Amino acid sequence: MDISEAPAVNSRRRGNPVSRILSSIRDGNGFDILLVAAPLVFLVLLAGLPLIYNVLMSFQQVDMFTLGAWIRPFAGFDNYISVISQPEFPLVVRNTIIFVVGSMAGQFVLGFALALFFAQNFPGAATIRGLFLVSWVMPGLVVGAIWSWILAGDFGVLNAILRSLGLIEAAIFWKSDPNFSIWAVTIANIWLGLAFNMLLLSVGLAAIPKELYEAAALDGANAWKRFLTITLPMMRPTIGAVLSLGLIGTLQQFDLFPAITEGGPANSSTVAQYWAWQMSFTLYDFARGATISVMMFVLVLFASILYVRSTRSEVRG
Amino acid sequence: MTRPWTQWVLLAVALAMAAVYLFPLYWMYVTSLKTNSEIFANPPSFWPADPQFAIYPGVWARRSMSTFLWNSTIIAAGVTAVTVILGTGCAYVLARYRNAWVDVGLFCILMLQVLPASVMITPLFVGFNQVGLLGSPRLAVILASAAKAMPFFVVLVRATFMSVPRELEEAALVDGNSRVGAFFTIVLPLARNGILVCAILTFMSAFGEYIYSKSIIQDPRFQPASVGLSGFLGPNSSDWNAIMAYSAIYVTPILAVFVLLQRRIVSGLTSGALK
Amino acid sequence: MSNVQIELTGVDKHYGQFHALKDINLSIEKGTFVALVGPSGCGKSTLLRSLAGLETITGGTMKIAGEVMNDVPPRKRDVAMVFQSYALYPHMRVAENLTYSLRLKGTPKEQALAAAEEVARTTGLSHLLGRFPRELSGGQRQRVAMGRAIIRHPKAFLFDEPLSNLDAALRVHMRKEIRALHDRLGATSVYVTHDQVEAMTMADRVVVMRDGVIEQEGAPLELYDKPASRFVAGFIGSPAMNFVPAMISEDGQAVLLDLPDAPRLPIGRALEPGRRVSAGLRPEHLTVTNAETAALRLPVGVVESTGSMTYISSGTDPEITVVIHGRSPLSAGEVMGLTIAPENVHLFDVESERVI
Ligand SMILES: Nc1ncnc2c1ncn2[C@@H]1O[C@H](COP(=O)(O)OP(=O)(O)OP(=O)(O)O)[C@@H](O)[C@H]1O
Ligand SMILES: [Mg+2]
Repeated sequence: MDISEAPAVNSRRRGNPVSRILSSIRDGNGFDILLVAAPLVFLVLLAGLPLIYNVLMSFQQVDMFTLGAWIRPFAGFDNYISVISQPEFPLVVRNTIIFVVGSMAGQFVLGFALALFFAQNFPGAATIRGLFLVSWVMPGLVVGAIWSWILAGDFGVLNAILRSLGLIEAAIFWKSDPNFSIWAVTIANIWLGLAFNMLLLSVGLAAIPKELYEAAALDGANAWKRFLTITLPMMRPTIGAVLSLGLIGTLQQFDLFPAITEGGPANSSTVAQYWAWQMSFTLYDFARGATISVMMFVLVLFASILYVRSTRSEVRG
Repeated sequence: MTRPWTQWVLLAVALAMAAVYLFPLYWMYVTSLKTNSEIFANPPSFWPADPQFAIYPGVWARRSMSTFLWNSTIIAAGVTAVTVILGTGCAYVLARYRNAWVDVGLFCILMLQVLPASVMITPLFVGFNQVGLLGSPRLAVILASAAKAMPFFVVLVRATFMSVPRELEEAALVDGNSRVGAFFTIVLPLARNGILVCAILTFMSAFGEYIYSKSIIQDPRFQPASVGLSGFLGPNSSDWNAIMAYSAIYVTPILAVFVLLQRRIVSGLTSGALK
Repeated sequence: MSNVQIELTGVDKHYGQFHALKDINLSIEKGTFVALVGPSGCGKSTLLRSLAGLETITGGTMKIAGEVMNDVPPRKRDVAMVFQSYALYPHMRVAENLTYSLRLKGTPKEQALAAAEEVARTTGLSHLLGRFPRELSGGQRQRVAMGRAIIRHPKAFLFDEPLSNLDAALRVHMRKEIRALHDRLGATSVYVTHDQVEAMTMADRVVVMRDGVIEQEGAPLELYDKPASRFVAGFIGSPAMNFVPAMISEDGQAVLLDLPDAPRLPIGRALEPGRRVSAGLRPEHLTVTNAETAALRLPVGVVESTGSMTYISSGTDPEITVVIHGRSPLSAGEVMGLTIAPENVHLFDVESERVI
């Protein structure tokens, strides 16, 4: 039904505008408008405007002196040029790619494997699967703290376990070796996002009709064939949604960085979102912070278009 | 066909995987109880030889956790209140109608849901500074986090409202109730469980919020527990038993609530997450 | 003061581009039981919901008890509605469901409770007042929905397919009960159904709708005897009327059916010779006679018998179905002779499908 055609709103006959508005709220779609308007105003003020303001700042000269001013010197593309020509820029791009691709791949592959495993029919499957989700409700900073300790170089338990399994000879300095620091955060992020991936994929798996598998089994398809010809195609929309949510979630991940590496050593684990924040809040260079944010926003926009597309085909289908 | 014994094997494998996955949590609790020297034992011990329960009251007092947790609670409660009050009505309207406007609204909300906090914090900070909101930093954090939490809440609660049959509300209208009355006496009570679960999720995530608080709240008297934890956490930390004790005190309430409500939270998520 | 309780003049309803109700004119007298029938999607529910105020009409006027209701919200219309899904409030007990409307009106508690007990007695719900809807059977839920409507003594009852979720036996039983209730309360009822038997047996007046238009309105037997259009003729009556393309004979006194040997049926009046028409013959109006002398001779296709009735269909195109009481000695492949009284031959215009 169309909003404009919601249950009858009185009009013509009662003249007084105040009572007309009141009766529309009681009986008509004034109620709906009121319910939507309040959050709309709130979100415009606290999300829409800041977003626009961010783009604006990326074209302005912002420093401690102009921070409180409403009118600031226009800077053209200077901020963008200066961000790109920072010496650490290529490193940050590389780290962001490693972090995003590594996290998404790890979360997805492990999440899918677990989802397939828990799709088997055995006692307690749903409950045990639910337990995995605790990682998702924990504060990111606490997760970071725990992993920071697990990944510690000399006394970390991960090194101890790997060594006792004979997988490594000497301790790996996960947090302080520039070759590993970004991976340290990635491992923690995989742990954090794995359960949510698994949950969404489980929902998708549960929606595949069992008869399809039975029919394929009768046709002589083995388990691997059934996975390739039924599970994967049927899961396509879910996989699309999970991957784009993974991308979005990974680009949102911030708390692990201050907790584990603080971007170091020597920026070897700085990713775009942490870099933007450092620009603004440790270097007080708000213009460049805003500029990096705008660049990231474009990336997120891309991911969310993918997400919306995949959820559409799934829900409206 | 799965025979009974394969089911037990599967159960054993599942338990083993859960144990591996939840090992970090276990490690947090175990480390918190170890003595300073046991922490740095090599190889590490998987069970504290001499559990130091005194560390909990010690960390609580030394790190003024009561202030931090109180601030976390205030912030989380504020975020939840704003989100529930504003988001519920929005979710209801988005569930009730099916047209182009609703699609546009949903699209915008999905867009907001994906904005990283690290993108939003710079303009929010500068804007709050300009309108003078930094003077009441907890309020500023509440507003910023509520805007971040709202889209997720709306998407999930909308799914709950969609499961309330339209006809119940219509019957109430014909029976003589107004739109407002029907919403409060029929629709809300029937969606109550879903709203409650989403409110709890909102509370949990606001309870662990870090980036806005870290950036906006400078005065330690107003900082939440996440910022308090970051105060003694870094690449070179060594005070691990204290850090883990702090973490344990911080997350145990969240974990307890989660385990109690696990069923409902999972079903709430699965019904709404992809819609 | 006229006795008209519900009056619709030129009512239109648009859903965006879609025209769901087209120029509906209908007046319903106080105390009548009106059935709205028609195929799925013809706008029955839309019309009923417009009466309740759940949809806003986009044109025309709608009066209930003499008052214009176009812009009046549902709660001020004083009509009661029974939904197909019953729409019982799941979080309220039966007693609370029954008294919901009274409580909204501010009726004192004891009075509301007394009314609920009274209604429960007449609907046989007395022992269920303390239960929740989920603890009731389908039939019991249906009664609660009825009770919720009658407790209010509204200006009109609106029913939207209230029996379609019940099994066949219960449906027949509830049919009688609803009608008896209507008579006892002296109520004005509008009853939507897609079951024409329900409409024919329960209603004082039947309104046949199609694609948002009222095709015909009248007493049940009037619709059966004098259908205004081919659509109504086909919709009312079971099994459905047979339609055969035909032509008026040269003397204008009969039709020649487009069947082998062009059988000739007298029509008892004179029409323009040579005109193309569609002839409608009800299965129960055809009688089997001597195959040698009958005007209409057809091969027997399928013979189906339920014991009390026998359905014979011809092996021709278009197929002709005949219903006879008792058994028939005919079997497939034989030739049957059929006759029909001239007044039972319905003729419809080929273009407009209106009756001639
Ligand atoms: N909210 C709406 N928006 C757009 N079109 C609608 C809406 N509600 C109904 N329609 C359309 O109006 C027409 C009439 O619908 P209505 O529900 O009145 O049919 P009905 O006669 O009750 O059918 P049924 O016997 O299946 O219940 C249908 O074609 C339907 O698709
Ligand atoms: Mg209908």
